[in-house]
Amino acid sequence: MPGSTGRMGVILDMYQESDIKQMVRDILRDVLSEQVSAQKQKPGKSVSAAPRDEGFVPDITAESTKEQFFVPAPADRDGYLRMKEFTPARIGVWRAGPRYNTFSMLRFRADHATAQDAVFTDVPEEVLKQHNFLCGQSMCSSRDEFITRPDLGRRLNDETRALFKKELPQNAKVLLMTGDGLSSAAVSANAADVIPSIKQGLKQQGIEIGTIPFVKYCRVGAMDEVGPLTGAEVVCLLIGERPGLVTAESMSAYMAYKPNPDKPEAWRTVVSNINRGGTPPAEAGAHIAGILKKILDAKVSGVDLNL
Amino acid sequence: MLKLKTVLFGKTYEFKTVKELMGKANEEKTGDTLAGIGAESAQERIAAKVVLADALVSDIRNSPAVPYEEDEVTRVIQDDTNEKIYDEFKNFTMAELREYILSEKTVGSDIARLSRGLTSEVISGVTKLMSNLDLIYGASKIQVTAHCNTTIGSKGVFAVRLQPNHPTDDPDGILASLMEGLAYGCGDAVIGLNPVDDSLASVTRILEMFHSFKEKWAIPTQCCVLAHVTTQIQAVRNGAPSDLIFQSIAGSEKGNEAFGMSGATLQEAVDVMKTMGCSVGPNVMYFETGQGSELSSDAHHGADQLTMEARCYGFAKRFKPYLVNTVVGFIGPEYLYDSKQVIRAGLEDHFMGKLTGISMGCDACYTNHMKADQNDIENLSALLVTAGCNYVMGIPHGDDVMLNYQCTGYHEAQTLRTLFGKRAIPEFDTWMIKTGIITPDGVPTDRFGDASIFLK
Amino acid sequence: MRDELLSVGIDIGTSTTQVIFSRISIEDMSSGFTMPRIEITGKSVVHRGRIHFTPLLSPTEIDMEKVRDIVGDEYRSSGIRRGDVKTGAVVITGETARKRNANEVLRALSEFAGDFVVATAGPDLESIIAARGAGADAYSRAHSTTAANYDIGGGTSNFAMFKNGELACTGCLDIGGRLVRVEGGRISYIAPKITELCANERIRFFVGDRAEMNILTRIAEAMTALLEMSIGLRPKSSFYPRILTEEGRDIHLPYPLENMCFSGGVADHIYGDLAGDPFLYGDIGVILGRAIRESEALPRVKRFSPSETIRATVVGAGSHITEISGSTIDYDRELLPVKNLPILKLTPEDEADPKSMREAIACKMDWFRAEGRVQPIAISITLKRSPSFLEIQDAADAILSGASELLAAGHPLVVVSENDLAKVLGNTLRARMTRRSPLVSIDSIRVSNGDYIDIGRPAASGSVLPVVVKTLLFV
Repeated sequence: MPGSTGRMGVILDMYQESDIKQMVRDILRDVLSEQVSAQKQKPGKSVSAAPRDEGFVPDITAESTKEQFFVPAPADRDGYLRMKEFTPARIGVWRAGPRYNTFSMLRFRADHATAQDAVFTDVPEEVLKQHNFLCGQSMCSSRDEFITRPDLGRRLNDETRALFKKELPQNAKVLLMTGDGLSSAAVSANAADVIPSIKQGLKQQGIEIGTIPFVKYCRVGAMDEVGPLTGAEVVCLLIGERPGLVTAESMSAYMAYKPNPDKPEAWRTVVSNINRGGTPPAEAGAHIAGILKKILDAKVSGVDLNL
Repeated sequence: MLKLKTVLFGKTYEFKTVKELMGKANEEKTGDTLAGIGAESAQERIAAKVVLADALVSDIRNSPAVPYEEDEVTRVIQDDTNEKIYDEFKNFTMAELREYILSEKTVGSDIARLSRGLTSEVISGVTKLMSNLDLIYGASKIQVTAHCNTTIGSKGVFAVRLQPNHPTDDPDGILASLMEGLAYGCGDAVIGLNPVDDSLASVTRILEMFHSFKEKWAIPTQCCVLAHVTTQIQAVRNGAPSDLIFQSIAGSEKGNEAFGMSGATLQEAVDVMKTMGCSVGPNVMYFETGQGSELSSDAHHGADQLTMEARCYGFAKRFKPYLVNTVVGFIGPEYLYDSKQVIRAGLEDHFMGKLTGISMGCDACYTNHMKADQNDIENLSALLVTAGCNYVMGIPHGDDVMLNYQCTGYHEAQTLRTLFGKRAIPEFDTWMIKTGIITPDGVPTDRFGDASIFLK
Repeated sequence: MRDELLSVGIDIGTSTTQVIFSRISIEDMSSGFTMPRIEITGKSVVHRGRIHFTPLLSPTEIDMEKVRDIVGDEYRSSGIRRGDVKTGAVVITGETARKRNANEVLRALSEFAGDFVVATAGPDLESIIAARGAGADAYSRAHSTTAANYDIGGGTSNFAMFKNGELACTGCLDIGGRLVRVEGGRISYIAPKITELCANERIRFFVGDRAEMNILTRIAEAMTALLEMSIGLRPKSSFYPRILTEEGRDIHLPYPLENMCFSGGVADHIYGDLAGDPFLYGDIGVILGRAIRESEALPRVKRFSPSETIRATVVGAGSHITEISGSTIDYDRELLPVKNLPILKLTPEDEADPKSMREAIACKMDWFRAEGRVQPIAISITLKRSPSFLEIQDAADAILSGASELLAAGHPLVVVSENDLAKVLGNTLRARMTRRSPLVSIDSIRVSNGDYIDIGRPAASGSVLPVVVKTLLFV
């Protein structure tokens, strides 16, 4: 340690002796490697580095819009880049005359396309199989009907009612279910991290999760039908949120104690914004498991539940 | 005597009530279908329009969507109607009323006067008989100005609300979007945030931040945090610097209950602003509406969404708002299915607001589960400016990262102003020149679009 | 959800000893529909104690009993009980930190002041605490700029610069108002370095001399010149390196210094010419303040007003040293508080794969041995933002096997993560432990090698833990 004096000693000798030299070497290495990586990640480049040589036009979605900065000669570049760190909003985009630059306009359209695809396509079969979901469907018969008839999305069709009644565990402490909702991409992207994390958290409380149903064309209200159908004490629905442009993969967890269609919306406890850019899915799962336990203990959910 | 049936191409169409007639005379909207009150065929829709065109203004006034005795909104609308002017027009058929509005002999001040004698149901009815271009032309004749710190709605002026939303209300993040918007000449209508955290502390914190930024840069505009009205009242009582009080409103008492407020609450807000607000006034309220919101809270009383929307404006008028805007595409495809329905609704709402006599703007927007995209919203925004719309929204690149929907972006402000020969609100325009983002001729400089000029 | 933490700050400086109590408000900033996000939303000083002279038994020994009495009196006059205090810090600064029994005093006082009152010392930390107390970090953040504070105390002048709220550099010079003392019109004490300075400046100056304004002013001007050199406002003299508190540790400004302020006891004489006896305090603080005020070079840096002057350090210790953890965490309550855990930090290379992670933990554990036995530590990991469930499983396995010696020794497993993952990691560690060890897994805390961490008892209905990170080294 350079120039260590008695005063440093005050702190150091409060603790057991340790290999200070090695520590200092390590710190210096940390500092140096940080400097190097800081130099590497100079923000503000205009187009990401995709394999240009191999006949590719660069992937305009390769980096987050947060990394992209286009103002050619800003009054305060550092300050502007810092401003961008504070918000996911598309700022620092510059202009072509009064209009948008081509790149940012195309990026916006690309993000919108992703969002629309998340709404208007189905969860892929292989994802449903991978999780061994027990698949059913709401009373909607098409995606178009699903987006225009929320009332039908809250109810299960007859086959699904029969299937769930027969195949799902009866009177479970916690019934975990999934649904596509307004983003099929949410289920595909997050289920593999959220579900095992919930299971692990519940297992430590002695609660096991059985077969997990999946409802196609699902609105949140569908959980109110699944609850009475299976006699579950608590129902937790993982469902795709309406996509935004920042992410089309956001998922919400709705939880309710003995849900049924007569319970008000305030009876549900919600954890929203679960996605890799928002609430980390694995961490959300652990948090959800904790809430489910609290709901079981308190025998209430929603606004009445003191978290 | 009101006739409720007609024959079209040999087929008889009969409507049991004015309410049913009004529902079926609407242009197609998924919300009316969802409510089970829309026309069942294209022909039935036209038959309803034919019957409606023949009805008298008095027939429509006398069949309010919700009975007078049952509903505060109806009472406000009916009580505030100028009976003398109404008497002059009550025997017009709805067809005649339409043609009176469109006639070149009828000028803006005539319509402004007419407006005082019309109830919201009559305004909704005449709107059902208007084509899109009718709505644009009719609205363009009507000028409504209002004054808070500055005057909105003057001839040649087109304003923008700057909406610097942030997913966690991070003050630095909000400021970043605010500075970006100002650099694009947005924010003359209002700088207004939709907060994630509706608490008193948070609302106060953001109001203070807006106020000090506005003071620091001497920006001639008004600021507002769009929390629940009661929270804003409390904040203003505690001394928070708010120029406007905001509230979402509905076209029925039950709808307003679902929003947790009533006319008394809004009157309280006006009174608080009178004594404790920091703006000049006299117009200190800001309302938002949107077709379908009553149905979504089961407060539509079997009436169509256009009529319920018109009633929002009739109710709003009592509180002399500085700004009212319809958030036209936010509610989703179950109410407005696609871009066609959104564009129609945007033009209808703007026309109805103007005809009601309020300072009208439009959040031309769409959600990602709706069959619409940015092109549609650009179309609508251009149509709205030609219709004389007071303001639209401005958000970074049209993408709202908190409400997860898209609307008009910061860039649209200057584009539309340039295209249609408009300028920002005069004081704000002067400020833009002084800040060096536009020349005195209104041409963008190299600083235009550089938010970092507001750092330091 | 809202809560308040009552915090104490105690500063035992070269000239003065001070105590303050402050209230740290914490609040859940989430919408209620997302995961909780509890943050510190306000800090306010609720009791400002008197400014006491630091009691000494001899030039090399602090009067422990009297210091304890001072602190006890401040508790009594504020009406605050020891049990009410949830967090806080004792800081021993300036020349006092060099006293023979400094360590002992520090430890005893932190025990005396509360269950979770941490002990801190070291010139870098002192600089940082004073600058935070003066508001330099907040100013630099609010104005997107660089801002520094020079805390001019009795024995040392502590410098810290921030850029956009982040620490940029620190430094410390042996310049202070009490390095020359005056009694009855005569010089009663000259610190050794000041004797050297006078020799270098060819100023004849000895103990017993009459206190002459022109001589003292020349000395104060020479001190001021050294301060100017330290921040690049004047070429460095050959003597300059001698005045650095730690030889060879000069101040290197990584960015241009845009704004600065002064705190410490001398600051009040920089900001206002307080008329009256310049020797009121029996030292040259007033004269040094005047010399700094009249400096021609210093005003070249834009000034901002400090939020505290003489109390900057104590307010920094009381209000600005406590952080709170992330809001989804996992811990065994009975373990808390834990104090003075040295940090074993994994580098990105260490975390590259489970094997290197395990080996790095096992290997670095050697740094923290005493007489061959591993000592309690906190393991710091970063991982990536939003790791997958499988990556968490791998990390948990690597930690458990890498730290097996730690657990076998009966020490708790304390893991501090930078990214939001503590709850799932905690759950996973518990699920995979072969033998149950007490556990603390917290996140949203950034630490470096060489830091020590103190973790307090839960707040906000158990959602968060107060944390103090003591930066020992700053390279």
